[in-house]
Amino acid sequence: MMISSSIILAVPLMLILTVLQTAVLPYFPLFGVTPSLPFLVALSWAVLRGVNEGVVWAFIAGFFMDLFTAAPVGGLALTYMISVLAASLINDRLPTNRFIIPMLLAAIATVIQQLLYAIYLGIFGYSIVQVIAASFLPTVLLNTFLIMPIYWMLYFIQRAVWPKPIEV
Amino acid sequence: MNLNEAQRRIRWVTFAVLAILAMLLTVLDRTGNLDTAFAVIRDPMASIMGWTSERTNDLEDVLEGPRDLETARSEIAQLQERIDKLERENEELREIEGEYQLLLDLFNRARQAPDYQRLTGSVIGQDSIQAVRSIIIDKGSADDVRVGMPVESSRGLVGQVFRTTPNSSQVVLITDSSSAIPARLGTSRATGILSGGGVGGSLTIDWIDLKHQLEVGEVVLTSGLGGRFPQDLVIGRVIDVDRREAELFQRAVVQPAVDFESLEVLFVITDFEPVDTEIFSETE
Repeated sequence: MMISSSIILAVPLMLILTVLQTAVLPYFPLFGVTPSLPFLVALSWAVLRGVNEGVVWAFIAGFFMDLFTAAPVGGLALTYMISVLAASLINDRLPTNRFIIPMLLAAIATVIQQLLYAIYLGIFGYSIVQVIAASFLPTVLLNTFLIMPIYWMLYFIQRAVWPKPIEV
Repeated sequence: MNLNEAQRRIRWVTFAVLAILAMLLTVLDRTGNLDTAFAVIRDPMASIMGWTSERTNDLEDVLEGPRDLETARSEIAQLQERIDKLERENEELREIEGEYQLLLDLFNRARQAPDYQRLTGSVIGQDSIQAVRSIIIDKGSADDVRVGMPVESSRGLVGQVFRTTPNSSQVVLITDSSSAIPARLGTSRATGILSGGGVGGSLTIDWIDLKHQLEVGEVVLTSGLGGRFPQDLVIGRVIDVDRREAELFQRAVVQPAVDFESLEVLFVITDFEPVDTEIFSETE
């Protein structure tokens, strides 16, 4: 029940984020790159709500992003999911820390996602080295720092939408 | 089965189902079976994108400078347009000069790019992945834009329509690493395949025969070979030549005429019919 209501939230949110990603962010690049907003939101959601919801959010995020690339559809959905799953599994083994852990997970997940996607594009004739060289390091750095405001924003949203039951 | 085990099972089943779905999407997309279905989602999103892009453009202008500079800006834009036009004319004249020198005895005319019908479109979005160089424009199949149509700006060739929805199209830029365009050099008349270098990479023409003496500054145009692009569309200018006598071929690095970071208005060439040369490569 909870998962289905979270998916209802994910679809319009990811639609809006994809529009922002393709029509707004390219006008304001940082270090020559733009952060992957839908990916960071999916990752933050996985940290906050658990891997089951996070993987679904990652798929939805990747799917909408896939619609606006000239690369084959499905690659972002797949690599977003794998990297969010991997980051969530690592998160299960880490101590709880609301400041450092999201940043660490963002760095790990972005590295995994970028490498996997480069391999995916390599299968379809793109140069893996060129794909990685294009934006690898700045994207990892940007995502690592940008996850904090996104994580906190989602933290308050989920607290508002699904408040914790008070134990008496 | 305890709760944790059940949760774990749900996790892996969900992941497996979605992963298979993603792979299925890739296969269906590669075989061209998803275009119509996805157009239903892409099209309304492209409309929102167009609206958002316009607002962002305005916002960018506001952030760039005070409003009282607007008049000066419009004047600059007009002058820039004129410079672009003159530069283009200049490049065309250089091309004519190159041909003139070569064919003076044979032809008493200069070849020019044929007058094609052009449909004006605005850029409303960019590729969602940085490594892939493509843009989204606000004209689609409802405006008679078809896959394969060449797209240019006032300065030169931009790319080719890759996919369309009724009201938008995705254009793969010539700088994308998957791009390969038959090109010809204006003065030396050498031909080769112009390859995109992706983000941060250079446009290059490889496999040019050593018999050609390439010059820095030569204009690069589409050759029309292969039938995918019309002849004589300006691509750019040679900025470096990699020539080693020990090798069989040489390589030219090309500076594109178009500034791909500031694309706004583009022209889709709508009356050029790409020629399918596949039939010639069939053995049976």
